Amino acid sequence: MENTSQVPVTVLTGFLGAGKTTLLNRILTEQHGRKYAVIVNEFGEQGIDNDLVVDADEEVFEMNNGCICCTVRGDLIRILSGLMKRADKLDAIIVETTGLADPAPVAQTFFVDQDVADRTKLDAIVTVADAVHLSSQLVDHHEAEEQIAFADVILLNKVELVGDNDIVKVNDRIRKINPFAKIIKTTRCDAPLEEIVGLNAFSLDRVLDIEPDFLESDHDHEHDDDVTSLSFVSDTPLDMDKFQDWFGNLLRTKGQDILRSKGILNFKGEEERYVFQGVHMLMDASPMGPWPKGKDRSSRVVFIGRDLDNMNLKEGFENCKSA
Amino acid sequence: MNADLEKLQESNKTELERRGSIFNIGAPATEAVTIRDQIAVGFGDGTVRFFQSGSDPKTVKAHKGVVLSMTNYEDHVLTGGEDGRFLKISSDGNIDEIFNFGSKWVDCVASHKDTKVCSSGKTVYIWTKNKDKPQTLEHQSTVAGLAFDNKGKRLAVSRYGGVTVWKLNNNKWTASNFTWKGSHGTVTFSPDTKYIVTAMQENQIHGWRINDKADLAMRGYPSKIKSFTWVGDTPYLVTSGSSDAVCWPFDGKEGPMGRKPIVVANGGKELATFVKALNGEKAVFTGFTDGSVLLAEIDESKKPIMIRSSTGSEVSTIAISSDNSQILIGDMKGSILLSSLWADN
Repeated sequence: MENTSQVPVTVLTGFLGAGKTTLLNRILTEQHGRKYAVIVNEFGEQGIDNDLVVDADEEVFEMNNGCICCTVRGDLIRILSGLMKRADKLDAIIVETTGLADPAPVAQTFFVDQDVADRTKLDAIVTVADAVHLSSQLVDHHEAEEQIAFADVILLNKVELVGDNDIVKVNDRIRKINPFAKIIKTTRCDAPLEEIVGLNAFSLDRVLDIEPDFLESDHDHEHDDDVTSLSFVSDTPLDMDKFQDWFGNLLRTKGQDILRSKGILNFKGEEERYVFQGVHMLMDASPMGPWPKGKDRSSRVVFIGRDLDNMNLKEGFENCKSA
Repeated sequence: MNADLEKLQESNKTELERRGSIFNIGAPATEAVTIRDQIAVGFGDGTVRFFQSGSDPKTVKAHKGVVLSMTNYEDHVLTGGEDGRFLKISSDGNIDEIFNFGSKWVDCVASHKDTKVCSSGKTVYIWTKNKDKPQTLEHQSTVAGLAFDNKGKRLAVSRYGGVTVWKLNNNKWTASNFTWKGSHGTVTFSPDTKYIVTAMQENQIHGWRINDKADLAMRGYPSKIKSFTWVGDTPYLVTSGSSDAVCWPFDGKEGPMGRKPIVVANGGKELATFVKALNGEKAVFTGFTDGSVLLAEIDESKKPIMIRSSTGSEVSTIAISSDNSQILIGDMKGSILLSSLWADN
């Protein structure tokens, strides 16, 4: 449901030292004329003292709803509902997560908790990556991979310290994990704030921005637990029942390994485009207006996750084609 | 305004709106408590305002940011704020800072006689008479609700995974844990202190019979339960969260176990957001998402009375003065209705 009075929430992730605090300080001190609240973690980097800062403990709670990977950030539910009682309306809320945190519970909070969903909306997951150290962090810490995988926007920071060849390499490495995130190369996180906050990246109509050619990824990874992406395109219309059966079952059984999913679907007998976007087992889907005239009606889906090769995704998707 | 239109709007008003006063504060009303003949209301702009029939409210600038929690304490109110301050406030505007937690919120407050309690993060702080330093009780996750039993001997603390009931013996607090998977918010003891009940993050309430820790799961709500109140001698636990006020009977040995609740005060497509017992009566005020308020007896055959018409903003608090003469209704837009409950004869 679109609701203009929902306050957008940006989730900011990234490893310690990547430059999150630099970015937060910019958000809090620059004369941007907007009112932002920033929720920081007590184990985060020091040095921010401001009325607009709220301290939080990252409390990951399991929901008692039978969904095994459904964890939410209990502290966020509490703090967001408190912030919504303020007399002065906030333009946006920024949530910092610690370097080692899995971004999934934060994102899921916006799908699962009705009060949060009514009054706020997940705007984008922004990951600050250190251009110097990202490659080694990706080898040593699976959290680094997840932060790249979940991101809608990646600030590739400290590019001034890296040679051009290495920037291309790290850029390619990011693309292998996450083909749809927007990558912004920065020095001291100097990207314009409007490219970071207020993006509406989780809006379903943003799914339509997926570039199909871009998604054709090879996957010559070294370890089975690497995060990779796979995408499929079909010019044959899909059968809605078959797709729902396959996709529903896929998220139920493999949702823990599927970090993000997005797609635009052309169903047989339907005039409108269907779009969806998911985080683990949870997803949001709806019709999104008629297909543009004179353009191909092709269905496109993309998955980012672990062990995707063992989910028979290609076969499953092919089987959804209408006879 | 056109005179006819004005007349029409006037006629759409309820009896209580016609004889009461309406104040537009402009910040959400977060909490309301009764102190003698006054009703104190906390707001999202950090003020606490004392309302009294026949005069303008007295405004106290208490907190920077939202008044998150409030309770009465002797002739004062205790408040917890987004600014990390735990305050004792008198109606003449005197503010006594009991403690300052800095950037940590003071989420919950409670009191019993001369004992003042608040929570910030995972810790509960207890100030007893003549002691400057608080006792502290630690919990595994952030405290989301506090409630004393009617004797002040037990303090229920809700959190993730259940409730810790602390018992006071010889000035020492000992813990007993009541466990149920999920996140627990507001907590209450039944008036006979045989049960504790919490509102959960899921759309359900959960209760325990204290003597054997037997579980009571009360489910089937379409939304979160933000408010509950004990009504009548039975007593009933009346809850928000549905299109009606849902009333669970807590009489007999088993309480509501295996029984169906009574539903009264149907709000149509609106959901109940706040419920408040009318003291001494088997009746409850129910506020809805559109700002309307109904008064209903706990009897499905009786028709509810419209107390306040729709304002377009959800009812966030209702308080009744201690002599049952005045009602105060507040909503998320900061509109306050203060009115006498009974017509003057």
